Amino acid sequence: MNRQQKEAAVRRAIGDLPLLSGSASRLLSLSREAEHELADIIKIVKHDALLTSRVLKVVNSAAFARRVEIHSIEHAVALLGEELVVSTAMSEAAGLIFGKKLAGYAAEEGELWRHNLKTAIAAKILAGRARRPVPHELAFTCGLLHDLGKAVISDYLLHTAGKIRQAIEEKKFADYLAAERAILGIDHAEAGYELCRRWQLPSPLPEACRLHHQPALAPPKWRPLLYVVHLADIVAMMSGVGTGADALQYSLDRDYEQQVDLDENGLAEVMLRVEREFAQAAEAF
Amino acid sequence: MTTSKVVGVGEFAVSSNPAEVIKTFALGSCVAVIFLHQPSRAAGLIHVALPDSGISPDIVRERPGYFADTGIPAILKAMSALTGSANIAKGMVVKMAGGANVMDANNTFNIGKRNILALKKILWPLGMGPVAEDVGGGFSRTVTVSVRSGRVFLSCAAKGEWEL
Repeated sequence: MNRQQKEAAVRRAIGDLPLLSGSASRLLSLSREAEHELADIIKIVKHDALLTSRVLKVVNSAAFARRVEIHSIEHAVALLGEELVVSTAMSEAAGLIFGKKLAGYAAEEGELWRHNLKTAIAAKILAGRARRPVPHELAFTCGLLHDLGKAVISDYLLHTAGKIRQAIEEKKFADYLAAERAILGIDHAEAGYELCRRWQLPSPLPEACRLHHQPALAPPKWRPLLYVVHLADIVAMMSGVGTGADALQYSLDRDYEQQVDLDENGLAEVMLRVEREFAQAAEAF
Repeated sequence: MTTSKVVGVGEFAVSSNPAEVIKTFALGSCVAVIFLHQPSRAAGLIHVALPDSGISPDIVRERPGYFADTGIPAILKAMSALTGSANIAKGMVVKMAGGANVMDANNTFNIGKRNILALKKILWPLGMGPVAEDVGGGFSRTVTVSVRSGRVFLSCAAKGEWEL
């Protein structure tokens, strides 16, 4: 296949992906509405029997070491909080995509889920350091989605990982994103954008996928959020939770300083908090 | 049969059991320091995440290995106890791996480099400067130490395996 054919095949593959469940889609959309509350989340979860049982399973998992078993969904949602309920819904609705082995990136099964979950937690924590308000739940959701495009393009990148890394070392490509574009005509950020559009997710969720490596290109309204997701992705990669061959093969946009207040100690504190929250969340799923 | 001792972020392990390998996965900007005590053939590995415990003293009690300044004394104490050696620096070979950085990192994001410097500043005065190191760059290393042979292997997605 030449590049045009590969790009067409990737776009076809996105079009063939199953739609998200109604409840997962509504939960993701809810995170961008400024005035929503836990009751709205409970209502969505209650209407989905599968999701209800999954939420109860997560809340009662060993990760939280509860003394008594939780039976009510109201109680479960309140204890888990919005972010973990959204994560549960996504792992349920798009588990096959998240759990996919990214062979094109020389990554194992589950690495994409772990990376996106860690980025989501880092984004939620970094949102608290944005110079203009960034809703924590929205930052989390964008982090959870940001690299989904890799699940789509991975199959078309088989046997390229070693060559791409070498080409980046030889400065033939600026970063992994540029290499993906050169090979496929589309990169994982754009594929993620198309996937979110296929799932009919509202702005800024598709844009968060498309621009997480180029936050400066985001419209001013979403720029602080995009910088938060951009940094969160880097924090996750630096902590050793990437998606295989492309880990740390992207540039830091240093203009983040205008958007996020983060010095050496601040970053160390963020990394410490992310590590602790991630350890618990990863065990729960 | 060989068994693996897996070391998580901020943890350390020591062993003198020749049937064991000590392993730590995907270091990122974290640094693994490997201690090979020649007289007793004991080995140790610590997975350090941050240079200085000053930012969160309460974690030190729970996980001293998280920081360079508290982690090195903790693993050396464990190595002394394991080997019964009062002067643990004697006959010790130290190696170091990890400390990766993101592209175009500014000072704030150079955590890998700060980790390496902090560790060396602690190890040098103890007479245990690393004799071999594979640090920096933009890749996340996995480290495996064979207690039996004292050999240290590194690996990374799409780069394969090599010896340190």
